[in-house]
Amino acid sequence: MFGLPDWTTPYLFAAIILVLTWLVAWIASLVIGGVMRQSAPQVAAGARRLGAVVVWLVGILLTVQEVGVSIEILLVVMCLFAIAAIIALRIPLENFGAKYFSDVYSPFKVGDSIQVGAYSGKVIEINAMTTVLLSEDDRLVALPNSLLLKEALVNASPQAWKELTIPISLPGNVDIAPLESEILKSLAKLRLRLDKRFPPVLATKSRTAQSTDLVLTVMIRRPEERDALLLEVNKRVHDAIQGIRVRGTSTMPIPLEAVEKPSG
Amino acid sequence: MQNANVCINSQTPLLQFLSPSDGSPGPGWGDTANLAELEEGVDYRFSPGGVTRMVYPLVRRLLARGILDKTHWVSLNTVGPRVVRTDGLTLHNVALGPQRMGGYGKTKEAIWSTVHGLETREPPDDLFWSEEFSEYAFYNRTTSERMRKLDAQVDFDLFYIHDFQQMPVGQMLNSLKPKIFRWHIPFDAAQIPENWRALFVNYLDNYDVVVVSCDRYLTGLKMLGYRGRSLRMYPYVDPREYRRPAKSVVAATCARWGVRPDDIVVLVVARMDPAKAHDRAIRAVARLAPSYPRLRLVLVGNGSFSGAKGGLGLSKSAQWRAHLETEAQRLGIRERVIFAGHVPQDALDCFYERSLFTVLPSINEGFGLVVVESWLHSRPALVSERAGIVELVRDGENGMLFDPDDIPSLAQKMCELLDDHGDLAGRLARNAAGTARACVIGTAARAEVKLMEEVIEA
Repeated sequence: MFGLPDWTTPYLFAAIILVLTWLVAWIASLVIGGVMRQSAPQVAAGARRLGAVVVWLVGILLTVQEVGVSIEILLVVMCLFAIAAIIALRIPLENFGAKYFSDVYSPFKVGDSIQVGAYSGKVIEINAMTTVLLSEDDRLVALPNSLLLKEALVNASPQAWKELTIPISLPGNVDIAPLESEILKSLAKLRLRLDKRFPPVLATKSRTAQSTDLVLTVMIRRPEERDALLLEVNKRVHDAIQGIRVRGTSTMPIPLEAVEKPSG
Repeated sequence: MQNANVCINSQTPLLQFLSPSDGSPGPGWGDTANLAELEEGVDYRFSPGGVTRMVYPLVRRLLARGILDKTHWVSLNTVGPRVVRTDGLTLHNVALGPQRMGGYGKTKEAIWSTVHGLETREPPDDLFWSEEFSEYAFYNRTTSERMRKLDAQVDFDLFYIHDFQQMPVGQMLNSLKPKIFRWHIPFDAAQIPENWRALFVNYLDNYDVVVVSCDRYLTGLKMLGYRGRSLRMYPYVDPREYRRPAKSVVAATCARWGVRPDDIVVLVVARMDPAKAHDRAIRAVARLAPSYPRLRLVLVGNGSFSGAKGGLGLSKSAQWRAHLETEAQRLGIRERVIFAGHVPQDALDCFYERSLFTVLPSINEGFGLVVVESWLHSRPALVSERAGIVELVRDGENGMLFDPDDIPSLAQKMCELLDDHGDLAGRLARNAAGTARACVIGTAARAEVKLMEEVIEA
């Protein structure tokens, strides 16, 4: 083919499969994002990542098969490894997964006073495995995150019902300023439904070179509108993120010499 | 405390760049510049007001004593290089496009005029839900992101954030590093609309300490609902910046602005802004004009950074000056009022020396450092009762107080000094010299260092 030696053909096809995989993963990510517009941005981002991973997994298996490696053994090994991992890490995985969902669906945050089963206190830490409470008698209580999904949770903080917290996960290099500006503009249109005294606040939860985790907090006026507003706010945040992605953003780096060279 | 790395943040930049260095209208400054290679008056000028009078002398002093090491200063600046280096201090300019600048300017002016009690309409209830507010947030977020990136490189010991425009920076920084916030304008909780209070408290709660300029603002903070640490620290100047020129220099300089040798000069030093209420001084002079034919009122000051073309480009200073000119014309004393505009420090020294006394007529004033300047030149000051500095003024002892809405009273107080055949002016000036010591950098720098130490080592 194309005057190339025959032995290169499988590799050429493998390369084509990889390119197609990249294209399909990108389209799948867009489609999933569009379908999940009203879901919490963090859940939508997770679903997009999951979709892309599945597509890539299939693409890589097809690529491996194309270059002549049998994938049956590979699949069996992967399945056995996955089963072993699930059995060995069942409890940590359960807590880790529960943390992901409680972040989005459990109405509390660090600083709130909550009660879960027989335990109550002020939330002082939410980590991958546990939610740590400081009880009234000054004791630390570490609740496994999975418990937060199994047990009824009472948030006793004043006006906790008013607060909608929307976790947002973005790439590490994102420029937050235009995104925040767009979100504020968009949510201003809902101001009749929100508590005027508390404009939306976007807080940075964590930041690394790879990812930026933000939390958007809005305060609603009527408890019966909570669910509808949650969907609407999610949609608007999603649209703002998409808008910024389409237009693109850039942050100019600070010239290194500004901080490294001696002054004078 | 030694070798602390500090990040300062203020809206007003230390330097305002006059034009691109290559003379072109577009960007011509490049990314970084060394201040030593630029020329004051040609390439840049120091911003008038507290940034140059107070913050910069403090930074220089602390750098010279090794208390500060790496010091970075992040400000809004539409013109000029992104980074300027000078004597241990690195200035970072944050630029905004015209549209964002417009929205930002409107929001901060609305806050400013409401807090000063100048908003004639109902306070804008929806201010924090407006499109303009999203630009205000954009500016503060851009600033805090710049500070965050600098912190990653420099590892600051402290963030020192100045004035109400930058209030959200503490929350946006999301840093565990110590943060001091200095509020420079008046703080009267009664002026802050109900719907704004929770947001103000939320912003202020993100600082380790909030510093205000006089004791009654501490009460204002508590009334607002702020329960964090707060502190009163009087603003200050560096007396070494103020000189007493020779009489011949004073005469020659003042003559350039049309002051005649036999004029009796009353001086107002304030930027052109309705809150400064120059019109009160004009009306008082109009009352006295028939009795004092040689009386001249000299108004020194121009627009602030907000009004400057290289700043926010808001037009209020030009409008206010036009209003004052019309008012002086209407009262028949146009030739008695000299609009000197912005003058360099040496000329300002000459005006202080040439004046019989100074007037601070503001209808609301965070503090009033020009009163301290007047005292440093041994000139008595007539001070509006609504300026923060009144906490230091004892009527008839080290100054004179007046209600800025009571023009006859102001004219009467001016009369007492104009007719002073005894030692009233001398006594006021001598007593004020002692008071001024509370507002000079020597005293204040110790308090500033103590505060920084406490916050860093807490």
